[in-house]
Amino acid sequence: MYILSIIHSWKPIIEILILWFVIYHIMLFFEGTRAIQVLRGIIILLVAFFVFQKLGLEILNWLLTKLFGISVIAILIIFHPEIRQGLARLGQRHLFGTSLREEELDYVLKQIGKATEELCRKKTGALIAIEKNDPLTAYIESGVLIDARVSSDLIENIFTPNSLLHDGGLIIQQGHIIAAGCLFPLTENQDLSRIYGTRHRAALGLSEETDAVIIIVSEERQDMSLVYRGKLYKDLSREDMLSKIKEIIKLKKDDV
Amino acid sequence: MSKEKIGIGYRIGHWFTYHPWLKLIAFILAIMAWFYVKGEIKLFDY
Repeated sequence: MYILSIIHSWKPIIEILILWFVIYHIMLFFEGTRAIQVLRGIIILLVAFFVFQKLGLEILNWLLTKLFGISVIAILIIFHPEIRQGLARLGQRHLFGTSLREEELDYVLKQIGKATEELCRKKTGALIAIEKNDPLTAYIESGVLIDARVSSDLIENIFTPNSLLHDGGLIIQQGHIIAAGCLFPLTENQDLSRIYGTRHRAALGLSEETDAVIIIVSEERQDMSLVYRGKLYKDLSREDMLSKIKEIIKLKKDDV
Repeated sequence: MSKEKIGIGYRIGHWFTYHPWLKLIAFILAIMAWFYVKGEIKLFDY
Protein backbone atom coordinates (compact mmCIF):
# COMPACT_ATOMS: atom_id res chain seq x y z
CA MET A 1 0.00 0.00 0.00
CA TYR A 2 2.82 2.34 0.95
CA ILE A 3 4.60 1.66 -2.39
CA LEU A 4 1.34 2.21 -4.29
CA SER A 5 0.79 5.58 -2.59
CA ILE A 6 4.36 6.63 -3.48
CA ILE A 7 3.82 5.61 -7.12
CA HIS A 8 0.51 7.50 -7.11
CA SER A 9 2.13 10.70 -5.85
CA TRP A 10 5.00 10.34 -8.34
CA LYS A 11 2.65 9.72 -11.28
CA PRO A 12 2.70 13.28 -12.71
CA ILE A 13 6.53 13.36 -12.56
CA ILE A 14 6.79 9.98 -14.30
CA GLU A 15 4.28 11.11 -16.94
CA ILE A 16 6.11 14.39 -17.56
CA LEU A 17 9.46 12.56 -17.78
CA ILE A 18 8.07 10.10 -20.35
CA LEU A 19 6.55 13.00 -22.34
CA TRP A 20 9.90 14.83 -22.15
CA PHE A 21 11.76 11.78 -23.42
CA VAL A 22 9.34 11.31 -26.36
CA ILE A 23 9.24 15.02 -27.33
CA TYR A 24 13.04 15.34 -27.07
CA HIS A 25 13.62 12.31 -29.32
CA ILE A 26 11.09 13.57 -31.89
CA MET A 27 12.93 16.93 -31.95
CA LEU A 28 16.31 15.19 -32.09
CA PHE A 29 15.12 13.09 -35.02
CA PHE A 30 14.15 16.20 -36.98
CA GLU A 31 17.28 18.18 -35.98
CA GLY A 32 19.46 18.81 -39.02
CA THR A 33 16.71 18.07 -41.53
CA ARG A 34 14.65 20.58 -43.49
CA ALA A 35 11.59 19.55 -41.46
CA ILE A 36 13.01 21.24 -38.35
CA GLN A 37 11.79 24.64 -39.61
CA VAL A 38 8.22 23.30 -39.94
CA LEU A 39 8.53 21.73 -36.49
CA ARG A 40 9.67 25.07 -35.03
CA GLY A 41 6.58 26.74 -36.54
CA ILE A 42 4.33 24.07 -35.02
CA ILE A 43 5.97 24.52 -31.60
CA ILE A 44 5.43 28.31 -31.75
CA LEU A 45 1.75 27.73 -32.63
CA LEU A 46 1.41 25.22 -29.76
CA VAL A 47 2.92 27.68 -27.27
CA ALA A 48 0.61 30.44 -28.60
CA PHE A 49 -2.38 28.08 -28.27
CA PHE A 50 -1.47 27.29 -24.66
CA VAL A 51 -1.01 30.98 -23.79
CA PHE A 52 -4.31 32.00 -25.48
CA GLN A 53 -6.12 29.31 -23.57
CA LYS A 54 -4.63 30.37 -20.23
CA LEU A 55 -5.46 34.03 -20.94
CA GLY A 56 -8.99 33.11 -22.00
CA LEU A 57 -8.71 34.66 -25.49
CA GLU A 58 -11.61 32.71 -26.95
CA ILE A 59 -11.55 33.87 -30.58
CA LEU A 60 -7.83 33.18 -31.07
CA ASN A 61 -8.17 29.92 -29.17
CA TRP A 62 -11.08 28.84 -31.42
CA LEU A 63 -9.14 29.77 -34.55
CA LEU A 64 -6.07 27.78 -33.48
CA THR A 65 -8.21 24.78 -32.46
CA LYS A 66 -9.75 24.70 -35.96
CA LEU A 67 -6.30 25.18 -37.53
CA PHE A 68 -4.90 22.19 -35.60
CA GLY A 69 -7.79 20.02 -36.80
CA ILE A 70 -6.90 20.70 -40.42
CA SER A 71 -3.14 20.61 -39.82
CA VAL A 72 -3.14 16.91 -38.82
CA ILE A 73 -3.54 15.98 -42.50
CA ALA A 74 -1.13 18.74 -43.55
CA ILE A 75 1.52 17.42 -41.13
CA LEU A 76 1.14 13.91 -42.53
CA ILE A 77 1.74 15.27 -46.04
CA ILE A 78 4.58 17.65 -45.10
CA PHE A 79 6.41 15.10 -42.95
CA HIS A 80 5.72 12.14 -45.21
CA PRO A 81 9.41 11.48 -46.10
CA GLU A 82 10.54 11.94 -42.49
CA ILE A 83 7.82 9.65 -41.11
CA ARG A 84 8.72 6.98 -43.65
CA GLN A 85 12.41 7.41 -42.85
CA GLY A 86 11.79 7.23 -39.10
CA LEU A 87 9.77 4.03 -39.35
CA ALA A 88 12.42 2.52 -41.63
CA ARG A 89 15.10 3.47 -39.10
CA LEU A 90 13.15 1.78 -36.30
CA GLY A 91 13.03 -1.42 -38.33
CA GLN A 92 16.68 -1.22 -39.31
CA ARG A 93 18.12 -1.22 -35.76
CA HIS A 94 20.74 -3.80 -34.97
CA LEU A 95 19.40 -5.72 -32.01
CA PHE A 96 22.80 -6.79 -30.82
CA GLY A 97 25.09 -4.01 -31.87
CA THR A 98 28.77 -4.84 -31.89
CA SER A 99 31.64 -2.44 -32.09
CA LEU A 100 35.38 -2.34 -32.35
CA ARG A 101 37.79 -2.67 -29.47
CA GLU A 102 39.67 0.47 -28.48
CA GLU A 103 42.95 -0.59 -30.14
CA GLU A 104 41.20 -1.70 -33.34
CA LEU A 105 39.32 1.59 -33.50
CA ASP A 106 42.58 3.48 -32.97
CA TYR A 107 44.20 1.52 -35.77
CA VAL A 108 41.31 2.16 -38.20
CA LEU A 109 41.21 5.87 -37.33
CA LYS A 110 44.98 6.17 -37.69
CA GLN A 111 44.79 4.66 -41.19
CA ILE A 112 41.86 6.90 -42.16
CA GLY A 113 43.65 9.98 -40.80
CA LYS A 114 46.83 9.14 -42.69
CA ALA A 115 44.94 8.53 -45.93
CA THR A 116 42.76 11.64 -45.74
CA GLU A 117 45.75 13.85 -44.96
CA GLU A 118 47.62 12.46 -47.94
CA LEU A 119 44.56 12.81 -50.21
CA CYS A 120 44.19 16.40 -49.03
CA ARG A 121 47.82 17.11 -49.86
CA LYS A 122 47.42 15.54 -53.32
CA LYS A 123 44.24 17.57 -53.99
CA THR A 124 42.19 14.39 -54.34
CA GLY A 125 38.57 14.26 -53.24
CA ALA A 126 37.22 11.44 -51.07
CA LEU A 127 33.99 10.35 -49.42
CA ILE A 128 34.21 7.80 -46.59
CA ALA A 129 31.26 6.55 -44.56
CA ILE A 130 31.79 4.68 -41.29
CA GLU A 131 28.82 2.51 -40.32
CA LYS A 132 27.57 2.92 -36.76
CA ASN A 133 24.25 1.40 -35.65
CA ASP A 134 22.13 1.77 -38.79
CA PRO A 135 23.10 -0.80 -41.42
CA LEU A 136 24.35 0.64 -44.72
CA THR A 137 23.47 -2.54 -46.63
CA ALA A 138 21.38 -0.74 -49.26
CA TYR A 139 24.30 1.59 -50.07
CA ILE A 140 26.89 -1.21 -49.98
CA GLU A 141 24.87 -3.00 -52.67
CA SER A 142 25.10 0.06 -54.94
CA GLY A 143 28.91 -0.19 -55.02
CA VAL A 144 31.61 -2.80 -55.47
CA LEU A 145 32.30 -5.21 -52.60
CA ILE A 146 35.89 -5.15 -51.31
CA ASP A 147 35.91 -6.52 -47.74
CA ALA A 148 39.51 -5.70 -46.90
CA ARG A 149 41.27 -4.56 -43.74
CA VAL A 150 41.41 -0.77 -43.52
CA SER A 151 44.71 0.57 -44.78
CA SER A 152 45.73 4.08 -45.77
CA ASP A 153 47.33 2.83 -48.99
CA LEU A 154 44.15 1.08 -50.06
CA ILE A 155 42.01 4.15 -49.33
CA GLU A 156 44.41 6.37 -51.29
CA ASN A 157 44.42 3.89 -54.15
CA ILE A 158 40.62 3.74 -54.32
CA PHE A 159 40.34 7.52 -54.57
CA THR A 160 43.11 7.96 -57.11
CA PRO A 161 41.62 10.02 -59.98
CA ASN A 162 40.58 8.00 -63.03
CA SER A 163 40.52 4.74 -61.09
CA LEU A 164 37.28 2.78 -61.54
CA LEU A 165 36.13 3.15 -57.95
CA HIS A 166 37.16 6.74 -57.21
CA ASP A 167 33.68 8.08 -58.00
CA GLY A 168 31.28 7.40 -55.18
CA GLY A 169 31.65 6.66 -51.51
CA LEU A 170 33.71 4.15 -49.58
CA ILE A 171 32.01 2.31 -46.71
CA ILE A 172 33.79 1.08 -43.61
CA GLN A 173 32.00 -1.57 -41.58
CA GLN A 174 33.43 -3.21 -38.46
CA GLY A 175 36.98 -2.08 -39.22
CA HIS A 176 36.82 -3.29 -42.81
CA ILE A 177 36.57 -1.45 -46.09
CA ILE A 178 33.43 -3.25 -47.14
CA ALA A 179 32.65 -1.49 -50.44
CA ALA A 180 33.67 1.39 -52.68
CA GLY A 181 32.05 3.34 -55.49
CA CYS A 182 28.81 3.40 -53.48
CA LEU A 183 25.99 5.79 -54.27
CA PHE A 184 24.63 7.92 -51.43
CA PRO A 185 21.36 9.87 -51.48
CA LEU A 186 21.73 13.62 -52.04
CA THR A 187 20.41 16.02 -49.42
CA GLU A 188 17.51 18.28 -50.33
CA ASN A 189 18.67 20.88 -47.84
CA GLN A 190 18.32 24.23 -49.58
CA ASP A 191 20.35 26.06 -46.91
CA LEU A 192 23.58 24.36 -47.92
CA SER A 193 26.03 26.84 -49.42
CA ARG A 194 26.69 26.70 -53.17
CA ILE A 195 30.41 26.25 -52.47
CA TYR A 196 29.67 22.65 -51.52
CA GLY A 197 29.37 20.18 -54.36
CA THR A 198 27.81 16.78 -54.85
CA ARG A 199 30.23 15.07 -52.46
CA HIS A 200 29.04 17.20 -49.51
CA ARG A 201 25.42 16.83 -50.63
CA ALA A 202 25.79 13.04 -50.74
CA ALA A 203 27.42 12.99 -47.29
CA LEU A 204 24.65 15.11 -45.79
CA GLY A 205 22.00 13.02 -47.57
CA LEU A 206 23.37 9.80 -46.08
CA SER A 207 23.70 11.36 -42.63
CA GLU A 208 20.05 12.42 -42.74
CA GLU A 209 18.94 8.84 -43.34
CA THR A 210 21.42 6.92 -41.18
CA ASP A 211 23.71 7.44 -38.18
CA ALA A 212 26.87 6.85 -40.25
CA VAL A 213 29.89 9.07 -39.66
CA ILE A 214 30.98 10.52 -42.99
CA ILE A 215 34.35 12.03 -43.86
CA ILE A 216 34.76 14.32 -46.86
CA VAL A 217 38.04 15.41 -48.40
CA SER A 218 37.54 18.38 -50.68
CA GLU A 219 39.80 18.50 -53.71
CA GLU A 220 39.06 22.20 -54.36
CA ARG A 221 39.64 23.53 -50.87
CA GLN A 222 42.03 20.80 -49.72
CA ASP A 223 40.27 20.44 -46.40
CA MET A 224 38.63 17.69 -44.36
CA SER A 225 35.05 17.81 -43.12
CA LEU A 226 32.93 15.50 -41.03
CA VAL A 227 29.20 14.93 -41.31
CA TYR A 228 27.03 13.31 -38.66
CA ARG A 229 23.25 13.34 -38.32
CA GLY A 230 22.85 16.18 -40.84
CA LYS A 231 25.52 18.35 -39.21
CA LEU A 232 28.59 19.47 -41.12
CA TYR A 233 31.82 19.99 -39.16
CA LYS A 234 33.96 21.89 -41.65
CA ASP A 235 37.65 22.43 -42.12
CA LEU A 236 38.90 20.10 -39.39
CA SER A 237 42.48 19.25 -38.59
CA ARG A 238 43.43 15.55 -38.63
CA GLU A 239 43.49 15.41 -34.81
CA ASP A 240 40.14 17.20 -34.40
CA MET A 241 38.51 14.97 -36.99
CA LEU A 242 39.78 11.74 -35.45
CA SER A 243 38.82 12.72 -31.89
CA LYS A 244 35.33 13.73 -33.07
CA ILE A 245 34.87 10.40 -34.89
CA LYS A 246 36.04 8.54 -31.81
CA GLU A 247 33.64 10.46 -29.61
CA ILE A 248 30.71 9.69 -31.94
CA ILE A 249 31.55 6.02 -32.42
CA LYS A 250 32.18 5.35 -28.73
CA LEU A 251 28.67 6.36 -27.71
CA LYS A 252 26.20 3.53 -28.02
CA LYS A 253 23.08 5.04 -29.53
CA ASP A 254 21.76 8.29 -31.00
CA ASP A 255 22.84 10.52 -28.16
CA VAL A 256 25.81 12.09 -29.94
CA MET B 1 34.30 -8.00 -30.32
CA SER B 2 33.34 -6.34 -27.07
CA LYS B 3 31.69 -2.98 -26.52
CA GLU B 4 34.11 -0.56 -24.95
CA LYS B 5 32.84 0.74 -21.60
CA ILE B 6 32.23 4.45 -21.18
CA GLY B 7 32.42 6.04 -17.74
CA ILE B 8 29.23 7.21 -16.05
CA GLY B 9 30.80 10.63 -15.43
CA TYR B 10 31.49 11.06 -19.13
CA ARG B 11 27.91 10.06 -19.96
CA ILE B 12 26.43 12.50 -17.44
CA GLY B 13 28.69 15.31 -18.69
CA HIS B 14 27.81 14.51 -22.27
CA TRP B 15 24.10 14.45 -21.48
CA PHE B 16 24.26 18.01 -20.17
CA THR B 17 26.38 19.40 -22.98
CA TYR B 18 24.64 17.69 -25.89
CA HIS B 19 21.69 19.75 -27.23
CA PRO B 20 20.92 21.53 -23.92
CA TRP B 21 18.43 23.91 -25.59
CA LEU B 22 16.58 21.09 -27.28
CA LYS B 23 16.29 19.34 -23.92
CA LEU B 24 15.01 22.52 -22.24
CA ILE B 25 12.42 23.20 -24.97
CA ALA B 26 11.29 19.57 -24.90
CA PHE B 27 10.94 19.77 -21.10
CA ILE B 28 8.83 22.95 -21.28
CA LEU B 29 6.66 21.37 -23.99
CA ALA B 30 6.25 18.21 -21.91
CA ILE B 31 5.04 20.23 -18.90
CA MET B 32 2.68 22.25 -21.14
CA ALA B 33 1.30 19.09 -22.75
CA TRP B 34 0.77 17.46 -19.35
CA PHE B 35 -1.14 20.45 -17.96
CA TYR B 36 -3.17 20.76 -21.16
CA VAL B 37 -4.24 17.12 -21.15
CA LYS B 38 -4.93 17.26 -17.40
CA GLY B 39 -7.18 20.29 -18.00
CA GLU B 40 -8.99 18.54 -20.84
CA ILE B 41 -9.53 15.40 -18.74
CA LYS B 42 -10.98 17.52 -15.90
CA LEU B 43 -13.16 19.43 -18.35
CA PHE B 44 -14.79 16.33 -19.74
CA ASP B 45 -14.67 14.49 -16.39
CA TYR B 46 -13.35 11.20 -17.81
